[in-house]
Amino acid sequence: MALFSVFQTTFLLALLSLRTYQSEVLSEPLPWAPESLRVFINSTHQCLHLQWSVHNLAHHQELKMVFQIEISRIKTSNVIWVENYSTTVKWNQVLHWSWESKLPLECAKHFIRMRSAVDDAKTPEQSFWSNWSSWEEVHVQNSLGHDPFFVFPKDKLVEEGSNVTICYVSRSQQNNISCYLEGVRMQGEQLEPNVSVFNLNHVAFIRETGTNIYCKGDQGDSIKGIVLFVSKVLEEPKDFSCETQDLTTLNCTWDPRSDTGLLKQLSQSYTLFESFSGKKTLCKHKSWCSWEVAPESQEMYNFTLTAENYLRKRSVHLLFNLTHRVHPMAPFSVLFTDVSATNATMTWKVHTTGNYYTLLCQVELYGEGEVIQRNVSVEVDGKQLFGGLKPDTEYRAQVRCANANHFWKWSEWTRQNFTTAEAAPSEAPDVWRNVKSVQGHSVVTLFWKPLSKLQANGKILFYNIVIENLDRSSISKLLSIPAPANGTELNLDQCLYQIHVTANNSVGTSPASVIIVSGDPGNKEVEEERVKGMEDGFSLSWKPQPGNVTGYIVEWCDHPRGPLCDLQWKSVGPTTTSTVVSSDAFRPGVQYNFRIYGISTERVPYLLEKKTGYSQELAPSDNPQVVMSNLTSRSFTLSWKDYSIESQPSFIQGYHVYLKSKAGQCHSGSEKAVLSDDAVCCKYRIDNPKQKTFVVENLQPESFYEFLVTPYTSVGEGPHGAFTKVTTPDEYSPILIRIILPMVFCILLIMIICYLKSQWMKEKCYPDIPDPYKSSVLSLIKSKENPRLTIMSIKDCVPDSIEVLNKQEGTRKSLTETESSKATYLYLLPTEKSYSGPGPCICFENFTYNQAASDSASCGHVPVAPVAPLSQLGLLTSPENLLKALEKNYMNSLGEIPAGETNLNYVSQLASAMSGDKFILPTNPPEPALCSEYKMQMAIPLGLASPPSSGSSSLSSVTLLDEGEHYH
Amino acid sequence: MQLQYQGSPFSDPGFSAPELQLSSLPPAVVSFKTWHALDDRERLSHAQGAFLALTQHLQLVGDDQRDLNPGSPMLLAQIRAARLRAQGLLGNMAAIMTALGLPIPPEEDTLGVVPFGASAFERKCRGYVVTREYGHWTDRAVRDLALLKAKYPG
Repeated sequence: MALFSVFQTTFLLALLSLRTYQSEVLSEPLPWAPESLRVFINSTHQCLHLQWSVHNLAHHQELKMVFQIEISRIKTSNVIWVENYSTTVKWNQVLHWSWESKLPLECAKHFIRMRSAVDDAKTPEQSFWSNWSSWEEVHVQNSLGHDPFFVFPKDKLVEEGSNVTICYVSRSQQNNISCYLEGVRMQGEQLEPNVSVFNLNHVAFIRETGTNIYCKGDQGDSIKGIVLFVSKVLEEPKDFSCETQDLTTLNCTWDPRSDTGLLKQLSQSYTLFESFSGKKTLCKHKSWCSWEVAPESQEMYNFTLTAENYLRKRSVHLLFNLTHRVHPMAPFSVLFTDVSATNATMTWKVHTTGNYYTLLCQVELYGEGEVIQRNVSVEVDGKQLFGGLKPDTEYRAQVRCANANHFWKWSEWTRQNFTTAEAAPSEAPDVWRNVKSVQGHSVVTLFWKPLSKLQANGKILFYNIVIENLDRSSISKLLSIPAPANGTELNLDQCLYQIHVTANNSVGTSPASVIIVSGDPGNKEVEEERVKGMEDGFSLSWKPQPGNVTGYIVEWCDHPRGPLCDLQWKSVGPTTTSTVVSSDAFRPGVQYNFRIYGISTERVPYLLEKKTGYSQELAPSDNPQVVMSNLTSRSFTLSWKDYSIESQPSFIQGYHVYLKSKAGQCHSGSEKAVLSDDAVCCKYRIDNPKQKTFVVENLQPESFYEFLVTPYTSVGEGPHGAFTKVTTPDEYSPILIRIILPMVFCILLIMIICYLKSQWMKEKCYPDIPDPYKSSVLSLIKSKENPRLTIMSIKDCVPDSIEVLNKQEGTRKSLTETESSKATYLYLLPTEKSYSGPGPCICFENFTYNQAASDSASCGHVPVAPVAPLSQLGLLTSPENLLKALEKNYMNSLGEIPAGETNLNYVSQLASAMSGDKFILPTNPPEPALCSEYKMQMAIPLGLASPPSSGSSSLSSVTLLDEGEHYH
Repeated sequence: MQLQYQGSPFSDPGFSAPELQLSSLPPAVVSFKTWHALDDRERLSHAQGAFLALTQHLQLVGDDQRDLNPGSPMLLAQIRAARLRAQGLLGNMAAIMTALGLPIPPEEDTLGVVPFGASAFERKCRGYVVTREYGHWTDRAVRDLALLKAKYPG
């Protein structure tokens, strides 16, 4: 047992020693462990560069080894990257390894360590890992400045769609920093207390000058930011092709595709590499590059075009034979020789591209509406003959060439123009005439149409006109009219003439156009027929002529309303009896007249038919100017004689006369019509367009009417514009006017005569101082009736009288004599309203005629009123004084007038004898202050004579006062 | 105008970052009391020094923008025009100082070695600061010269 124990102990010890040995062997450093590990930082590319060496390698010894590299972030335990790097290690070699960090290196601390193992079949016993090297710490933040915070990475260039990580590093943890991408705030995550990280996924291209990302603190810190340059993905060049024009220079072109959208300094470059020669060239342009062909005759070329920028590289390849890529230069010295009216020879030269090349050239000739194409094989000079050309025509020729053996591309066109020579005109001009007879002569206007370019064969210089008198064949005349005239006027007599017209250019004369002209214009009267125009013109047809006709001519004016008419014609063959006349000048609403002539075999034109029509009829735009006449109380006449039917925009079929009246009654011959403004009126219809008068009848006197005359056509009426207003007179006024007007005239005449003979009239009828002996009126009466009345004698005098009539009311009426016994003033005062019968009569003696007469007054029972002295006159100006005066003068002498209604009747002093009239004073005068003045015809002493004056101060006046309140 | 080419935040409406300064460029902002208390020599020498610095900084900004905005010839032309105007004003101020008998400060390199190696964003920032200060100094120079004109009429 003890032995077993010893053995067991020994075994355990041996085992222990073995383990110890083994552990000693294992812990021994590997002879080729990485040493001198150094870490370099490239912030721009966010790269860590590791550099280390392996010692103890024998001279010239090479050993395949594996280096395991471990990278931690923030702390060593946070391993973010492990990579095995295999390489062959040589003696004294410094090894390199790089790692690009997604996170900018400034954002966090990084720790790197590595270990190695031999991965070589020659030393399999060494194939286990060495010890880890010590951690190498990379802490870029230490080298930053003193700003409050920083943003990383700086100015990064990425491709569109890639992911980018950005961070800010703050000096202070208290800083609250916000970061923005193009103004939009970004959401980040905190990496460390003072570091936040922002992950941008699939970044987009915004602009060529980069995308701004910036951060700012909330404590007024300045902004910090970076510019992220986002590039579009570099694409492979497309359509890469090389060719040569002269076998000395290759020109390679390609399509660079879409732009990467980067600044020029960041943009891609293009490199051309030829593998057979091993030559390489950096292209200066983005889409093409020149390559010098090697002088030694290299035929095959293998090109590689590489597009490259900071992020990507793209290549395309091209293998070709140089002779199959010949793109000849454009031909030159294109000339035309032996150019005639119909033929020309074209020559040209080509650039030589080698002695053994044949070119295929393509020649094209463009004339007026024709193309001639030829293919010519050319070595040095080309030549081509063209025939069948048109005279005086400009042709455009072009030529291009290509390699005849190995067609690659046509050269550019080389163009040259030439014009063929002129030839004599091929056709006779189309001639027509217009004949007018003026004073026994024929004025013939010849018209001809210019020849078309195809017919003229050159520039027409003049027209020759030969006038041949057929009646006297010996006489002929030649006129030469220079071009571009298209007509001329001839004065001919009534003979028959044959006129030849030819067109001439520099080469020759055209065939002649012959027309016969006679004194008779041939415009016999034929009926005019209406035709309807169509969109493309007028379709005219006529009856075929039984005799021999060489053709027909349709004649019309393009501008029938214009002063020049612009005569047009159209010639058709003898078998044609219809044609369509069209013209750009045809306008809607214009009447066109067509005349169709037949041309006899003797070439004499004669009128066959007339047609007239509108290309499109339009409704009349104007109404006639209507004149109204014969206005009576029952009718009036409308007239529009000046209205021209021919100058209207359509055929006038008649007229409508609209009549508006207040009564709204329409008489026979008219019908009710409702206008566009809903007004109702009577419509008269006139179906004859030539009837241009109309009598509107059955009207009411002294009524208001409105009328309108408008033409109507197949396309409508004229405008319903302004109606003309008229008021019928009354029935009697014309008669009255016939009477009154002469009467007024006569009265006026009399008044004028009276005015002119006023002095004479005055002397005769009412002289200032009447003298009965001189009164011609009285003398007239006397001579005819009673010669005794020539001079009124005293005994013939019938005194005036005033009758005072009693009234039922007992108001006392009195006439008082003034205190002055000489007063001669009498005032007659009306008292009551009605006359109630006879009453006491007061007779005044009238001293009308002379003093003597007044002195011997004997008539009546009323004493003579004495003449009042002048000093009393002032009292009479007031009614009260007047009243008193009356009372004093007459009350005493008359005594008391019986009570009752009283009135005063004044009887003219002439009345009883001459006419017996008497005046009855108005009992109730309508005018309250009526004051009639009676001018007593009495001679007064010369000392008291004074000019007659108005007013109460007049010396000889009797005043009728109407003021009842002053009379009691 | 210059800001419109730089992108956000510079091109944002109403963008202002007064905290952004350049140590090599004297700020134009000054209190009215201090400004008014300046004597002629100080006033003119401050402006003269500022515009001297501005001409050099505008040259730097022009170079920056040629890299950052090569496709904007109008912007580059405006910066060049601004620099020429600053130089012209500098010459006029030297003439005024000579007329007033004031010493003209020697021309010195205000930029030093600062500008090179700046990031694109930093170059945009300093472009902003230089153009902003150019505007401020132009306004201040107008007021400076108006004051002097009032002081020395005719």
